[in-house]
Amino acid sequence: MASFLRRHKRVIPYLLLAPGLLWLALFYLAPSVQMFVSSFWSGTLETGFAFALSNITNYTQALTRFQPQFVRSILFGGLATMLTFLIAYPLAYTIAFRGGRYKNLLLFLVVAPFFTSFLLRTVSWKIILGDTGILLGPLKGIGILPEEFRLLATPIAVVSGITYNFLPFMTLPIYVSLEKVDKRLVEAAQDLYASRFVAFRRITLPLSLPGVFAGSLLTFIPAVGDYINAELLGNPDTTMIGNVIQNQFLTQNNYPTASALSFLLMAGILIAVGVYARLLGTEELTAGGV
Amino acid sequence: MNEQGTKIRHALTRREFVQGGTLAGFAVFVAACGTKGTTVSQAPSAAGSVAPSAAASTEASVAPSPSATPKPSLSAQLNWANWTYYMDVDPKDKTKFKTLEDFKAKHGVTVNYQEVIDDNESFLGTIKPQLQGGQDSGWDIIVMTDWMAARLIRLGWVEQMNLGDLPNVQANLLDVYRNVTWDPTNDHHVPWQSGMTGMGYDKAKTGELTSLASLFDVKYKGKVDYLTEMRDAIGLTMLKLGLDPSAATRADCDAAVAEIKKAKDAGIVRAFKGNAYAQDLTAGDVVLAMAWSGDMVQALSDKPSLAFSVATEGGMLWTDNCMIPKGAKNFYTAEVAIDFCYQPEIAAQIEAYVNYICPVKGAAEVLKAKSPDVANNPLIFPPADILARLHIFNGLNEADEAYFNQQFATVGGLG
Repeated sequence: MASFLRRHKRVIPYLLLAPGLLWLALFYLAPSVQMFVSSFWSGTLETGFAFALSNITNYTQALTRFQPQFVRSILFGGLATMLTFLIAYPLAYTIAFRGGRYKNLLLFLVVAPFFTSFLLRTVSWKIILGDTGILLGPLKGIGILPEEFRLLATPIAVVSGITYNFLPFMTLPIYVSLEKVDKRLVEAAQDLYASRFVAFRRITLPLSLPGVFAGSLLTFIPAVGDYINAELLGNPDTTMIGNVIQNQFLTQNNYPTASALSFLLMAGILIAVGVYARLLGTEELTAGGV
Repeated sequence: MNEQGTKIRHALTRREFVQGGTLAGFAVFVAACGTKGTTVSQAPSAAGSVAPSAAASTEASVAPSPSATPKPSLSAQLNWANWTYYMDVDPKDKTKFKTLEDFKAKHGVTVNYQEVIDDNESFLGTIKPQLQGGQDSGWDIIVMTDWMAARLIRLGWVEQMNLGDLPNVQANLLDVYRNVTWDPTNDHHVPWQSGMTGMGYDKAKTGELTSLASLFDVKYKGKVDYLTEMRDAIGLTMLKLGLDPSAATRADCDAAVAEIKKAKDAGIVRAFKGNAYAQDLTAGDVVLAMAWSGDMVQALSDKPSLAFSVATEGGMLWTDNCMIPKGAKNFYTAEVAIDFCYQPEIAAQIEAYVNYICPVKGAAEVLKAKSPDVANNPLIFPPADILARLHIFNGLNEADEAYFNQQFATVGGLG
């Protein structure tokens, strides 16, 4: 075996790649292709489905019919990503620079919610935000809020839920990139009469951008496709594209439309991410801003 | 050139990698197209439900057909697929089911009872190829919810039972379950358990409610949950409008959807929920909801101020139904087993454990002595005047079902 490998060095990279490639081929590529094909189907579950390229109309119809849900998903996903950034950056900064010996404990606390299921975490928000729950109950009791005020079943609840659920995905990459920042660079900047704010803006922030970039992708992509938060915390006017896909797949058995929607979502996210990468500049990211 | 060539050969270049990947992807694509091709070419013959059912029925007449053979005999084993918590566990031996043990004692048939159904569509998926091909699915009894039962009957995928083999069913099936539109001859399905859809509400906040109009009352703005289940939401709305859900048409659907949309646009509807409405009721987030009687048994014990009622306009009735799949090996034994469970004593024994609504006459009377709390619970044994107000939804054909689902999805913000 060893001598075989020595004689055929070319094979080694393939062998090393094989498990990963096989996994991707089986569980990502094959289903994707299958789904792509079914997005060109027409027919029903009972009569059977037929493939035809002319069924590209599945895409145009889906796009026009479900445009509000697409726009809403991008909007909610974008809002949640911005909110997670605003919360996660100071959090990661504090842990990285002020955490001291509690650093590991603090990091553990960030990850701790992952020890319960996504569903349970979202359901617990229903309890927190309930109309007479621990948050609104007392405020209504002392008359600050009117009796009919509510957070549940509003866009606020949905965006809050997404923000909360994806917070660790933003925090951890930012933390990693902040942790790597060479403190001497900041000291040097301050020696050269940069104020603390200027040192942050010119040194720390640019150096942490790769983390921000990675974190926002890890948040934005799943957030746009999320349907749990909209289902549990939303109302009929906050449905996202994930809810539509779920309904088309499981309730209506409309596999062609559901598949087309899934690919449209994928394309939409790719475009959004592409624009974002262009704006932030990938060279700067890979160079680490130095 | 040669030198360069050897250098490249040693490492896996990015170009090679991408090429290989593309090729692999293309191969999968072609493969997928291929499979689809065959499915599609088979589809037309499997589709026109007339053709396969005709083929299957000729096959059935070769096999011991109920009417042809003089005296069918029982088989040694029976294969029964059911939902969980749908059969009474033996209090003495938790691994056994009392009713099935009794059946074995009386008829000598061992029942291979499997709780494999937890979703209509996904269970059907496991036996669909056999049913389409008119072959034995491996099950002699399956239990499916009414809308799926209607679909299977329409497709000719279940056997027609011999009513002469079902004397107990004939005698003891409550009237409200008879003559549904999707099985007018009453011989393709036998109800196993059922439940009501009505109004669940917080008496402390709303007082007694008796009219479905409350669900559309702006007084409860933002405090009302509707069900995500199309047949229940549309059904109750139709009843409110004075329409008959057991004969629902597209025009009725349009009227109901318009009514729901009005309530939604007025902010009355807080959300469309599955079982989660019960949580909203107990938490006080809503004061009124379209509700299932089965959930409310539990919710009532969690929060005593809650109540369930079937409005004067009526309520919906869903059923899970025993059926014998086309081509089942032990057809006659399956009939005997279903009929066995329609003896009031046996039905009572099952009901004491299951707590859904029992479709068998006389079971309540049997239970009155043993467990009066179950027998007197109107959510498990509704009084006759309530039963009379319940409706089973019309059996829709595929095109109509798609239309109803689509219209309902639209009003729920899903389309």
